Amino acid sequence: MAAIPPQARSKHLRACLLCSVIQLPADFKKGGCPNCEEILQMKGSGDRVSSCTTTQFDGVIAVIDPDASWVARWQRTAKYVRGMYAVRVTGRIPEDVELELERRNIKYRPRDQTDQD
Amino acid sequence: MSDEEDQHMYQNEEDDEGLGGGEEEEEEQEEEEMNENVSRKSKPSRHQYDDEDEDEEEEEDDEDDEEEEEEEEEMHGRKGKKRAKHRHRRSTVSKFLDVEAVVSDDDEEDEEEEEYEAEGFITNEHDVDESLTRRNHALLDSARHFEEEDMRSPEEIARAVASRHRDRPAPYSGDMNEIPQRLLMPSVHDASLWQVRVKPGRERDIVFSLMRKAIDVEYSARPLSILSAFQRDSLPGMIYVEARSSKQVQEACNGLVGVYPSRGIHLVPIEEMASLLQIKKQETNLVPGMWVRIRRGKYAGDLAQIMDLTDTGEDVGLRLIPRIDMNPRDDASLDPQGKKRKKPATGAGSMRPPQRLFNYEEIIKVYGRKNVSKRQQAFVFQNDTYKDGFLEKDFKASALISEDVNPTLDEITQFTRKQDGTDDSLVNLSVIAEASRKAAIAVLQPGDHIEVFEGEQAGVHGVVDEIAGDVVTITAQGLDLDGQKMEIPARSVRKRFKPGDHVKVMAGQNADETGLVVSVSDNVVTFVSDMTMQEISVFSKDLREAAEVGSGTNAVGNYELYDLVQLDAQTVGVIYKTERDSFRVLDQHGQTRLVQPHQISMRRDSMRSIATDSEGHELRVNDNVKEIEGEGRKGRVLHTHQSFYAFLHNRDITENGGVFVTRTRSLASLAPKSNVMKAVTADLSKMNPSMVVPTGGMVGSGNMGRGPRDRDIGTTVMVVKGPHKGYVGTIKDSNGPIARVELRTGNKIIMIDKSKLYRRYPDGKLEALDKFPMRNAPRNGQFAVPASPMQGGRTPYNASKTPNPYASSDARTPAWNASSRTPNPHMDSRTPAWNASSRTPNPYAADGGRTPAWNVSSRTPNPYATGANAGAGAGSGWQTPGRNASGWQTPGRAGASSGGSSSYGGSAADGWQTPGRPAVPSWESSWSAPTPAAAATPGLLSGQTPAYTAPTPAAHPYTPGPAFSAATNVPTPGVGGFGNTYSAASNTFDLGDSWIFDPQLAPYVKRIKVRIFGTVKDSEDFTPYEKRVARIVEVDDSYFSSGNPNERRVKVEFLDAKGEESKSIPTKYIVPVPPTYTDQELVVLAGRRKGEVLLIREHPEDVDGASAAEGGIGTSGGRASLKDVDIVVSHKTTPSDVDTVRIRAVGTFV
Repeated sequence: MAAIPPQARSKHLRACLLCSVIQLPADFKKGGCPNCEEILQMKGSGDRVSSCTTTQFDGVIAVIDPDASWVARWQRTAKYVRGMYAVRVTGRIPEDVELELERRNIKYRPRDQTDQD
Repeated sequence: MSDEEDQHMYQNEEDDEGLGGGEEEEEEQEEEEMNENVSRKSKPSRHQYDDEDEDEEEEEDDEDDEEEEEEEEEMHGRKGKKRAKHRHRRSTVSKFLDVEAVVSDDDEEDEEEEEYEAEGFITNEHDVDESLTRRNHALLDSARHFEEEDMRSPEEIARAVASRHRDRPAPYSGDMNEIPQRLLMPSVHDASLWQVRVKPGRERDIVFSLMRKAIDVEYSARPLSILSAFQRDSLPGMIYVEARSSKQVQEACNGLVGVYPSRGIHLVPIEEMASLLQIKKQETNLVPGMWVRIRRGKYAGDLAQIMDLTDTGEDVGLRLIPRIDMNPRDDASLDPQGKKRKKPATGAGSMRPPQRLFNYEEIIKVYGRKNVSKRQQAFVFQNDTYKDGFLEKDFKASALISEDVNPTLDEITQFTRKQDGTDDSLVNLSVIAEASRKAAIAVLQPGDHIEVFEGEQAGVHGVVDEIAGDVVTITAQGLDLDGQKMEIPARSVRKRFKPGDHVKVMAGQNADETGLVVSVSDNVVTFVSDMTMQEISVFSKDLREAAEVGSGTNAVGNYELYDLVQLDAQTVGVIYKTERDSFRVLDQHGQTRLVQPHQISMRRDSMRSIATDSEGHELRVNDNVKEIEGEGRKGRVLHTHQSFYAFLHNRDITENGGVFVTRTRSLASLAPKSNVMKAVTADLSKMNPSMVVPTGGMVGSGNMGRGPRDRDIGTTVMVVKGPHKGYVGTIKDSNGPIARVELRTGNKIIMIDKSKLYRRYPDGKLEALDKFPMRNAPRNGQFAVPASPMQGGRTPYNASKTPNPYASSDARTPAWNASSRTPNPHMDSRTPAWNASSRTPNPYAADGGRTPAWNVSSRTPNPYATGANAGAGAGSGWQTPGRNASGWQTPGRAGASSGGSSSYGGSAADGWQTPGRPAVPSWESSWSAPTPAAAATPGLLSGQTPAYTAPTPAAHPYTPGPAFSAATNVPTPGVGGFGNTYSAASNTFDLGDSWIFDPQLAPYVKRIKVRIFGTVKDSEDFTPYEKRVARIVEVDDSYFSSGNPNERRVKVEFLDAKGEESKSIPTKYIVPVPPTYTDQELVVLAGRRKGEVLLIREHPEDVDGASAAEGGIGTSGGRASLKDVDIVVSHKTTPSDVDTVRIRAVGTFV
């Protein structure tokens, strides 16, 4: 379960560049990304949070039942925790993370809807 | 991971002993982890041993973080050397665990092992030994573990493992990333998407609310069954909810503010579901060099150029023209810190400083040298960098507007000129063109002439057939391509104009301007404006071919072309040209200025202003005139101002739209004035406000039909509709169909439509206002017919202008009294009398010799008119006493009265004396008082007794004393007199002083408690006695007989000072003290029950004695008494005999 920001209007909402979950930067720093902390390692590092998340996102999804939701599946967040997700996130993950994904043979899909297949 | 959890896990481990060989590896890991956990718990003690940890707290935290990271690595079996290091650094306190860890280290590669040794970490032999022994322990221990573990079922083991792994970062697998998006398209088995209308702007909040709600009710009896909900910024006013049925959506949305399920929950077709999530905002990629605008703050709306961008695109380096406050507040300039703090405050509240390039010299003059530092080519001032005069600053991309920037020519020239230091306009224009090219596509329309200016087809021109996205299809024209259709990217075409085309500007500063194209250079078209004859350069994209001439609209805001407007206290001007949002105004000094609507304080109306031309003729709006001096311009009068300036308009004059200003004295009328009156009378009378209006209907240059302002003014009306229905009032003013009516009640003036008003006659009859007033009705008839007392056949009009001649004789006629005494003709026009008389034709002129008063009555068709002679009719004559009353109100009258009636001639005297004396029986006894002398006594001025004039016979029983006083007083008759006459309905009553002499009351007079009142106003002699309570002791005959009517006196004895000598006080100052409490005994001094002694039964709450007494003062003139209330009385002996009497018509006993 991701931390649900108390205020939707907050300008500080940030979306994870890898999994698109939306949280407050404080939550990212405190608990890391609920889905991809293992690879992004944002916990406790404000710098890391600001490089792996962004305020530039569009559309908010409340994923209530990720397993059953088509929306979550389409957004490729079906395996992730429940929470608020962004429909579209502008920007790319830092290069080191991208390299790491490559090393693990994981295909990186930017969340800015640039490459649809 | 909280410590509690750790603890829990730890215990788990302890319980789970003995794990199968296959699981050994994993178990080992877990144990390592456990070690760490335990070691972390014992961190405080570790400090004692670990040098490194004796650092600051911060470092400790860092380390903590590292540990966490490390922990994660371990999870995946990636045991780095780092980890190993750490382990050895770890506690010797929990040695058991430490050793356990070393066991697992054995499995690692040699390399690591070597490094480990190479570092020489283990320096303490004892430590090593210790660890070795521990190792044995550990082995034993783990064996024990395994045994225990074996006893559990695999399910239990699995559960334990699962619970351990819960709430910790799972390895990122990205396992969904391999599936192509197309395979994720929704199928029929997926839940549907439902569109729900929500309050625009609240979409995101509602999605969040849904999430929170779902969590809240998750474990309740009715959890939400929706799967997800989302919102898109580009789809305002709606959210989408994923659910199996619309009912579930309904339930989910129930109770959320801002959701409108009533507006329909619509199913999204399955094929559209994916596109909802794929919508992409039209992204304008920011590129260095492009133009943007600042969204908010000090530079809101300002144009800026992008210099550079950060990689994320969040921050944008801009160059813009600074706005530096060159008049900073003193404290700000002194204290840079303070300034920084105050800056936002000033920015928000005050005017923002104008755009101005950074000028080092000026800045140091204002802010001082030390506030500006120079760095390479740039200046740093207030933490901002200024280069080449421009401000270079980083902005957030979200704070910029990149769409529809449309930089104007002016803005860009500011940038480019300053940049090059040259004024290379052509280059600049192409820069702008580039910037605004995108916008140009939008303005293309089929039928436009375009030319291709770049690409393969460059040079081709043609007509646009069709526009599809960014591609336009054109039909080429000219030469070999003629008629061919071709598709061209919209970017590469521009509108084509050639000299001689008539064009209209569609957008920008010069919007709506029209003109003839004189030159075309690339995309800049220069044309000569039809209106101003000036050359104007605009972009071709902003132009259309158009046939119309002139600006499209003549009105901006509330002001129109040719309006006379007030610019400031001294200046007025005429609008001669309207522009997009401003006016060109020619002021009275002949200067033109550009004004915005807000700079105009008001529109002036010169319809009523009066001016004369050089020949003394009246100059009116719309007259055609010409100048007799100077240029001899002709024109039509638009407005006159202060009788001195005239604004003329002549289409033949191009300057200022044909409007020019001259002095009225230099104008002469073009059309000969045919009016004879006009020729003869070059009089100033029209300048005289007191004379202007009556002339209105008669003479007038261009405006023959103009009558008095409104005949209805002054009319007594009743409201027949609306909330005020039934109210009676007087029209005070009127404006078109709206009248201002002063209500009788509440002293209130209301604005009301005239159609809701009916004229009300004193007899209560109503008649529509637009009907002609009943001129010959009995009511008005008295005046209407005989009231033309003018001698020598003067027209009423003239008569009114020269009232003086009538002062002696005509003054007697009520009508003339009214009009001649009131200087304001408007006032006159209110009275029907005036209207009546002014309209009376000449026939009566011959009768001028007659006394008008006499005429009044004798001519009146009313039967009672003759009542002046015959007592029989007099009774009815009193029914319209208002008329009579005012009829007698001549000032000369009072003086004459003492000398008898001779001044009126015999018949007049008769007419005057006779009224109703014999007619009203109830007077008989009291009639002794009203001798002419008495009647004329100003002491009786208090008269004005509407009650008396009330048309009901019931009023008659009142003593005649007041009647006469009414007749004789009224020093301000005229309108006041008439007005009050009509308002006779108001129930004022005045006792007067005749009761003192009333024989019927004689037994009581000396017992009645009286008060001295009203001395302050007019008699210093008696002022000391004001408000004192007294008793009448004796009627002072000496004064009475002296013949001075003003000084009828009585001797009084003051009740508050026994022994004081009795004083002789004029009766006019003597009023009876009204009753103050219930059951008080009183004597009725006037009215039906005069002379009776009664008891007061009900005393109105609001009347206290003082105010009643105050009201009781006979204030001469028409001021209605404030406290005119009835009190309920009954007879002393027969309480059932209840009646009401006026509180001021009673007296109380001493």
